[in-house]
Amino acid sequence: MNTSGFYLQIQLICVYNMNDNREKQICQVRMSCICIYFFSGQWAERVYTMITAKDLSFSYTGSPPYVLRGLNLMIKEGEYVSVVGENGCGKSTLMRLILKFLKPTSGSIATKAARVGYVPQKSDYSNAGFPITVYEALDSYRRLLKIRDKSVIEAGLQQVGMQAFAGALMGTLSGGQGQKILIARALMGAPDLLILDEPSTGVDIQSQQEIYGFLKGINQNNGITIVSVEHNLDAAVSNSTLIYHLTDGRGHLCSPKKYAQEFLGGKSGQGGVGNAAI
Amino acid sequence: MLQYSFMQNAVLVSVFISILCPSIGIFLVLRRYSMIGDTLSHASLAGVTLGLLAGQNPILGAFVFTSICGALIEFLRNYFKKYTDLILTIVLSLSVGTAITIISSGKLKANADSFLFGSILTVTQFDMIMVLVLSIISVLTLIILYHQMLYIAYDEEAARVAGVRVKLINYVFSILVASAISVSIRIVGVLVLSSMIALPVATALQLGKGFRVTLIFSIVFSMVDIMTGLFVSYYLNVAPGGFTALVSVAVLVVVLVGKTVQARLRARRAA
Ligand SMILES: Nc1ncnc2c1ncn2[C@@H]1O[C@H](COP(=O)(O)OP(=O)(O)OP(=O)(O)O)[C@@H](O)[C@H]1O
Ligand SMILES: [Mg+2]
Repeated sequence: MNTSGFYLQIQLICVYNMNDNREKQICQVRMSCICIYFFSGQWAERVYTMITAKDLSFSYTGSPPYVLRGLNLMIKEGEYVSVVGENGCGKSTLMRLILKFLKPTSGSIATKAARVGYVPQKSDYSNAGFPITVYEALDSYRRLLKIRDKSVIEAGLQQVGMQAFAGALMGTLSGGQGQKILIARALMGAPDLLILDEPSTGVDIQSQQEIYGFLKGINQNNGITIVSVEHNLDAAVSNSTLIYHLTDGRGHLCSPKKYAQEFLGGKSGQGGVGNAAI
Repeated sequence: MLQYSFMQNAVLVSVFISILCPSIGIFLVLRRYSMIGDTLSHASLAGVTLGLLAGQNPILGAFVFTSICGALIEFLRNYFKKYTDLILTIVLSLSVGTAITIISSGKLKANADSFLFGSILTVTQFDMIMVLVLSIISVLTLIILYHQMLYIAYDEEAARVAGVRVKLINYVFSILVASAISVSIRIVGVLVLSSMIALPVATALQLGKGFRVTLIFSIVFSMVDIMTGLFVSYYLNVAPGGFTALVSVAVLVVVLVGKTVQARLRARRAA
């Protein structure tokens, strides 16, 4: 885009120095083409960007210590981004900022999503004694989203293979079963952005594989943008399209391949689910 | 005994109490806020005395003052995020201070005692209108906001992601609590009001069912508690509030014992 702007300036100078009319015309056509390219670039950036953070800083107290310090981030539509980093580096905080549960101390963060799905970190979610069945949890959520069609519940349960548990109490499900229900709930109403905070923690290998396969599927087939906090680096490397590494209040995006070379000693992580973890 | 019009009024009001109190109470209990019920019922006593002092209907006074206190609690919650019990102490001091000051001043022409213990005889025609209006509006609001309130109690973050206006609904909810309390103080009395809000719910929770079933059973238990309390207190000539509280504890004990016995039987059958 910078280069196209540069060319635009040169062309402008040329046009005014030209004598030949025909040459002038050709040049003008070329110039408009570049203009279109220039503006479509900007347009594309606005339309195809799902999440943008600019100079984002955040502290829970409003004063130092800052959890995030001048973070810049741009995530395009259709990406599957795994967010990695040590315990306490601010991954969940970043997710809460994206979800607008928290307000930036300075800077800005915005999403373009019309509908967001969210699967919280399990330790944050300790309401096991609540008397609610799987069906009720999904049905009430459906009502909140103002979806008329009741069949989305059955379809959602089927998607994660949990039809048999519709009548069970949420509190009696195992960790992995509960996680599947939360994923089904987050997918209700066809969100364009799905945010997951450690979806595989406490989930057995078999279910992890199911969950990641499933996430990869909806990312590739339905184009849902996924941002997922991961401690399971092998899963991050083999499933996502980008890795976002958060340290010292900032982060950088890189390809899974590059990340694997840099941090996992070239291990490709083809197994899908492994033991490498931060 | 039902031929007396005061008794008919009392029964009608009790029906509303046994629907409203547990329906509000279930959300309070599940959000670990049941002490708010206690605080606000004390606030309602201040409201009653203020209403009587101003020469207005005491139930109206209770509703207005309790709503203000409920909104105040909700507002202070932004400032004392991790110390909600502290907020309750602040509001409790304000209310009980007001009530004691007014009652002890001797300026009240009417008697505020009946609001402490509850009474069947004193339900006036205007009280009845207040109770009906408040109950009907509250029940309708509960039906409309059922799913929103359920999700705020169950998973507030998910509610927010789904676009629920949590703050607004919390304010509406505190007015609903005020309304349920104002409807109940005449018959149940301030002192045992919080047991009406919490105990039927505590009993229903023992059944280990989903939300809707738990809510229905809370209403059923509440109905049993209040009606038994009402009729027995009529024959024993004691205040209905106290006896209702006793019945609700008894019902809870029966359910707990029943649950234990059932579990033992099941274990023996399995062995
Ligand atoms: N509600 C809160 N109030 C104050 N500080 C908080 C709060 N939540 C988190 N923090 C602090 O902010 C920092 C980042 O926390 P965060 O939960 O975002 O970490 P995380 O990267 O998700 O860690 P983990 O991998 O353990 O989930 C931590 O130092 C934590 O102590
Ligand atoms: Mg976290």
